[in-house]
Amino acid sequence: MNEEIQRKIFHYLKKKKIENFVGVPDSTLKYFINECLKNNNIIITTREEEAIGIATGMTLSQSNSLVFMQNAGFANSISTITSLVQLYQIPLIFLIGWRGYLSDDAPEHLKIGEIQPKLLKIMGLKSQILTEKNWQIKCDWALNQIKQKRPCALIVRRMFHD
Amino acid sequence: MIRKEVVKIISSHIGNNPIISANGFMSRDLFEVNDKESNFYMIGSMGLASSIGLGIALKNPKKQVFIFDGDGNILMNLGSLVTIGSLKPKNLVHVVFDNNSHESTGGQPTNSSKISLEKIAKGVNYTVFVIKSKSKLISVLKDIKKLKGPVFLLVKISTSEERSKRVSWTPITIRNRLMKSL
Repeated sequence: MNEEIQRKIFHYLKKKKIENFVGVPDSTLKYFINECLKNNNIIITTREEEAIGIATGMTLSQSNSLVFMQNAGFANSISTITSLVQLYQIPLIFLIGWRGYLSDDAPEHLKIGEIQPKLLKIMGLKSQILTEKNWQIKCDWALNQIKQKRPCALIVRRMFHD
Repeated sequence: MIRKEVVKIISSHIGNNPIISANGFMSRDLFEVNDKESNFYMIGSMGLASSIGLGIALKNPKKQVFIFDGDGNILMNLGSLVTIGSLKPKNLVHVVFDNNSHESTGGQPTNSSKISLEKIAKGVNYTVFVIKSKSKLISVLKDIKKLKGPVFLLVKISTSEERSKRVSWTPITIRNRLMKSL
């Protein structure tokens, strides 16, 4: 996803009352994360589970939160999602960079990249893929999910190599 | 001192300030001795009480927010100490009940006796108190409101055979009660 759209997504969500952006950096999302940094509206944590915990505390305080991470971190977070976010029905938006989407991505990303859509489905965590064309509609979808007290995930595919 | 005793003393001293309590026997003890709307009983997600507490502390600067953690719990999420110590929430009090064991899972040893949680906490900007007796606990609590956080109370406790009942509130009720209290 290009730089301009990533930066726009931050401002769009912020305008729509997402107040906290918490997570672990991912190069797929680097312009989005950079925009959070530029606007001094970010907490970078040591691990993804920690980010989910902090965002949960903020959401319990009526302050809407987004947690960003790479899908490697999503794999780290499964137990936290099932035993905290889903168990207590905490309405968080996850923004997840999809490594291993391309079949010739670096080897460490291939397995999780392959099973990620199935994992999300089995877990019952609703998700949508964000693109440069549909981002606004999908952000609105996510905002609507949390309004209905449901956690959800927005996925950004890694379409390039570096 | 045993955990239940310390839980009772601290929770009854701090009024309706939020308490985020770790999973396992910690939450069960708190539920049994002093059930309040402002208690968040974490029943899964081991290690994350400190992170949830940080999120609440950052958004509720006028309330002193208490985290009831165990040594096993904090050792699973030492990274949260780094994040708390870098954000320095003035209103956060992190209580670690240290019995050198995973008591909830059968009393297996943790490594807290072989390292210094006190030094780790000092190294990440906490104001640290090591508490080994009831009199020390009471004297620290007397001034707790005035202390500038993040504060770390490392309370040395013994293991105990005493078992509290399970938290009977559903997770959704626990969530709603806490939200109402904030």
